[in-house]
Amino acid sequence: MRLKFRSLAPYLFVGPAVLSVAVFLYGPLIASVLLSLVDWNLLSSDIRFIGPDNYTSVLENADFRLSAWNTLLYCVVLIPAEIILPLILALMLHSVRKSPVQAIYRSSLFLPTIVAFSVAGVAWSWLFNPVNGLLNEILGFFGLPPSRWHTDPDLALLCVCVVTFWKTFGLNMLLWLAALANLPPVLREASQLDGASARLHFFTISLPLMTPTAFFISVTTFFHVLDDIVGVIDVLTHGGPAGRSSSIVYYLWQQGLQFFQFGPASAVAVIIIVLVLAITWLQFRIGEKRVHYR
Amino acid sequence: MISRPTPSHTFHRLFIHAALLVTCFATIFPLLWMVTAAFTPNDLILAKAVRFWPDDPTLSNFMIAASRHPIWIWLWNSFLTATLITIGKLILAVPAGYAFGRMEFPGRQALFWFIIATMSFPTVIAIIPTYIAVVKLQAVDSYGAMIIPSIPYIGFYVFYMRQAFRSLPSSIFEAAKIDGANLWRQFIEIAVPNVIPAIAALSVISFMGAWNIYLWGQLVLDDAFKKTLTTGIATFADLEGADRAWGPLMATSLLSILPVLLVFLSAQRFIVDALAPGIDEK
Repeated sequence: MRLKFRSLAPYLFVGPAVLSVAVFLYGPLIASVLLSLVDWNLLSSDIRFIGPDNYTSVLENADFRLSAWNTLLYCVVLIPAEIILPLILALMLHSVRKSPVQAIYRSSLFLPTIVAFSVAGVAWSWLFNPVNGLLNEILGFFGLPPSRWHTDPDLALLCVCVVTFWKTFGLNMLLWLAALANLPPVLREASQLDGASARLHFFTISLPLMTPTAFFISVTTFFHVLDDIVGVIDVLTHGGPAGRSSSIVYYLWQQGLQFFQFGPASAVAVIIIVLVLAITWLQFRIGEKRVHYR
Repeated sequence: MISRPTPSHTFHRLFIHAALLVTCFATIFPLLWMVTAAFTPNDLILAKAVRFWPDDPTLSNFMIAASRHPIWIWLWNSFLTATLITIGKLILAVPAGYAFGRMEFPGRQALFWFIIATMSFPTVIAIIPTYIAVVKLQAVDSYGAMIIPSIPYIGFYVFYMRQAFRSLPSSIFEAAKIDGANLWRQFIEIAVPNVIPAIAALSVISFMGAWNIYLWGQLVLDDAFKKTLTTGIATFADLEGADRAWGPLMATSLLSILPVLLVFLSAQRFIVDALAPGIDEK
């Protein structure tokens, strides 16, 4: 009897977690695959199997294509920015770690990360505000004409990038900072004795030792970017003007939950999940070769 | 030591401090403006683009906001949902992390990856089927609809707790086994008290995240009295349109930042330390 309890015990510990994940995360995933193959909305009672029609109609849709193109632009701008700029900030913070003001710098830089998307939207729509908004005042100060910022079709995507970056860079900065703090200080002393410059030391010693963090950050930043821009788009531009700042995830959100087009929206969900899995697989393949675990 | 302060060294340090000061100022500026605007009478707010102290300081914006929207109920709803979501996540993740970290059983690896893989799911993926379920169960505008589907995003939590339990020395468990403590008592009386810092860090991270849940709340909370602060603010901002009542809006936004700010400032040392391990040793 005692033996039996022992062998069952681990499953009692992990059971609730496994079950909740299965029901609330994998369940909807499977449901999305099924929904993507049928024609159905909340009000009608008949569900019609239509095979891949939702996929073809989505892939041919101009709005979807625009949002897919935009998503690529978002990734190209935001992923490098969210990896490299926080590293530069972390290096600066690390170099003043003995100063009493380091904690103040660190908390101020992390502050935007703890506010809600809606609050970020309110703060930035004031900065972008055409009447007396700060950014137009600055342009005016230099004698430049005012801009329409997030309501300008050519600038909307960039404005979303700026706000997303502002709202989310703090986490990666803290992760880099923690990695830098974990490096044994004797290494720097040794390379200093050998006459290595700070730059050479960073690229040949510190960075290779931080590859696990670099890998973790590059994988998670990809997911975060997909998720975070949706919050910013929703509070700042609603995907506009004319879809110029929409992303595929925001397109899914609009189709599914504003227009109740469950079939096409679920097709988009499946496309996204396949894309995410493919890119994650690729990242792990590259990571296996490059990451040095201590 | 080689690095004695030389003039170029001092100059270098000064440069870094200056660069950090400018970056920090630029980063907090939008929030700083929010604070000063929250205490400036609404009709004076748009008079200038930059102010570092409220003009004619007043609490009237909070009063106006409270008279138009149930902001104190929103505050309570935010507290309630964030707390319950955090408790739910811990109840699921702590025992699971313990089993994955310290027990041997068939399927351990597979079940672990089953949970960890969900870290890569964009949150929006689950939203449509979950929303349909909420509608079919007629649970729109219930706390349950807000709280329950938000709990199972525990990939990171399980991963993190596993690392925390793994790093405990086996000797403390050996002693307990000799004293005849069963598995449950080993978990509650030995393991959990030794990972309190990790649990505290996760609680803070979870609370801040749950406090700021936005998209899902927008969807399932429609009734003005069921909204949380973050979803309420979005409605508030949308309703007012172009002629925004900036003052009351800023006052409400400030109200939504303060609790997480206090939690963050009191636990920030924790969070910075908490993020370090886990990644380094796989």
